[in-house]
Amino acid sequence: MSRDVNAVALSGVALLGLVALAVKPKYVSGRASPRRARLLVSGRTIDPSAAVRSARRMNRAAGVLATAVLADSAVEHYRGSFHNKAMVAPLVTAALSLAVSAHGNADKRPIRHRVRDGVYSTAALTGLVGTCFHIFNISKKPGGFSWQNLFYSAPIGAPAALILSGAVGFLAERVRDTTPGRAPTIGGISAGRAVAAATSVGLLGTVAEAGLLHFRGAYHDPFMYLPVTIPPIAAAFIGNAALGRTDRPRPMTRFLLRLTAFLGFAGAGFHVLGVARNMGGWWNWSQNLLSGPPIPAPPSFTGMALAGVAALDLMKDHPDV
Amino acid sequence: MSRLYPDYDVLSKRWTESWNETTRQVIDRRLGVPREPRFFSSTEWRTLNAVCDRIMPQPKDRPPVPLAAYVDQKITDRLLDGYRYAQLPPQGEAWQRGLAALEQSANDAHGCSFHDLPPEWQDMLLRRMQHGELVGDAWGGMPCKLFFDHRVIPDITHAYYAHPTSWNEIGFGGPASPRGYVRMGLDRRDPWEAAEARPEQDIQRTERKKDRVG
Repeated sequence: MSRDVNAVALSGVALLGLVALAVKPKYVSGRASPRRARLLVSGRTIDPSAAVRSARRMNRAAGVLATAVLADSAVEHYRGSFHNKAMVAPLVTAALSLAVSAHGNADKRPIRHRVRDGVYSTAALTGLVGTCFHIFNISKKPGGFSWQNLFYSAPIGAPAALILSGAVGFLAERVRDTTPGRAPTIGGISAGRAVAAATSVGLLGTVAEAGLLHFRGAYHDPFMYLPVTIPPIAAAFIGNAALGRTDRPRPMTRFLLRLTAFLGFAGAGFHVLGVARNMGGWWNWSQNLLSGPPIPAPPSFTGMALAGVAALDLMKDHPDV
Repeated sequence: MSRLYPDYDVLSKRWTESWNETTRQVIDRRLGVPREPRFFSSTEWRTLNAVCDRIMPQPKDRPPVPLAAYVDQKITDRLLDGYRYAQLPPQGEAWQRGLAALEQSANDAHGCSFHDLPPEWQDMLLRRMQHGELVGDAWGGMPCKLFFDHRVIPDITHAYYAHPTSWNEIGFGGPASPRGYVRMGLDRRDPWEAAEARPEQDIQRTERKKDRVG
């Protein structure tokens, strides 16, 4: 019984954390001051704190993703009775990823932090191992990669969100570690382009997961089409931005990413209603929280969209073409 | 009584998330079934009780599941199976005819009522019914084997497993209304399900699991 309560308390805390994390970036991303824009257009100087600001935006994006993974894996692995001891791993690494994201958000120094970097790398690696493990799990079930197993076995896409959290944080550390006054690069290419490309891929992966499970749910509610329509368009736009010119304002891309970020929250809300619609509703929470739609899953879209907004800001701050 | 689920009492779910008002009412009606016959005559009732005691013998250390009362209720409330063998009359008539024929056979063979026979002799007659060997006018052309297979056995065993006492024996949680099952895999168990005692396992672990039922 106490484990049930813990799971709910954890989800509640996670939701609060999501709200806190998501409210902030809105005013941050919207404060491209005319003065800074002028400086950039003139091409003579670069705001020395721009890289750190972008890195902190990415820390927040990584934090939202980590929160979603923490809450989702806590609920789902509790449902799986922690049958395999390794099922604790995402809880630990996602919690650590969330903690270092908060630390990174508060940290304004323009240098890489070794612990943060290590935690993000570990989180990404854990996500990768988890994904492989979930795929292996499906492969050994009777029927292999059948619809039945894809629908009802451990989901492939869930651990991938932990890869994304770690990857966004990992990139954030590299963006931060930029000599003041110089444009941040990752592996020789513009950091903005790298993060934008990662966002596009990550969004499409998240869409695939939502698409599979909403197909399982037979799209019984028309709103279930939203996560398979708006985020793919946003992914296309941010993917286009990653490859195209960086000196354009791209208001449509920004709008679509913000809409996707909002969808993440709306999705959690819809899933709360979904749990209520199961027999017994919230009174029967100990079953319905587990067998109803996963409440912590949709905010993964918010995390990816926030990373995309950070990428747009990076490209705006440091245009290379 | 079975000790597979020690101290498990399904009725302790009554006020938990597992059951709602409808489920509570259904269980109450089932527990409050009238113990007197409403459909059967007193002779048929005595024969029916004797048959139930042989088909589904019950331990003496607990109140018995009122099997005959459920059979009577099924007929009184017209709870039909949805199908019927053409050679069998409707359930009420089948039971009346079958019980009368069994009573007739007991009188013919042993000179006394079926319910007064020693259990071994009752079993012998029931076994002859099962093998289609009972004859007599009282059957009215109804095949006794068909009556045994499709009336006696289903009606009595279904009645037995419709009662919380037998649910406790098999660790069943009662109606999944509203709370059903989440962990469907083999050998997986929801915290609100009964914990099976396994001799090879640590007793304390079972004790701990048991505390979480409800």
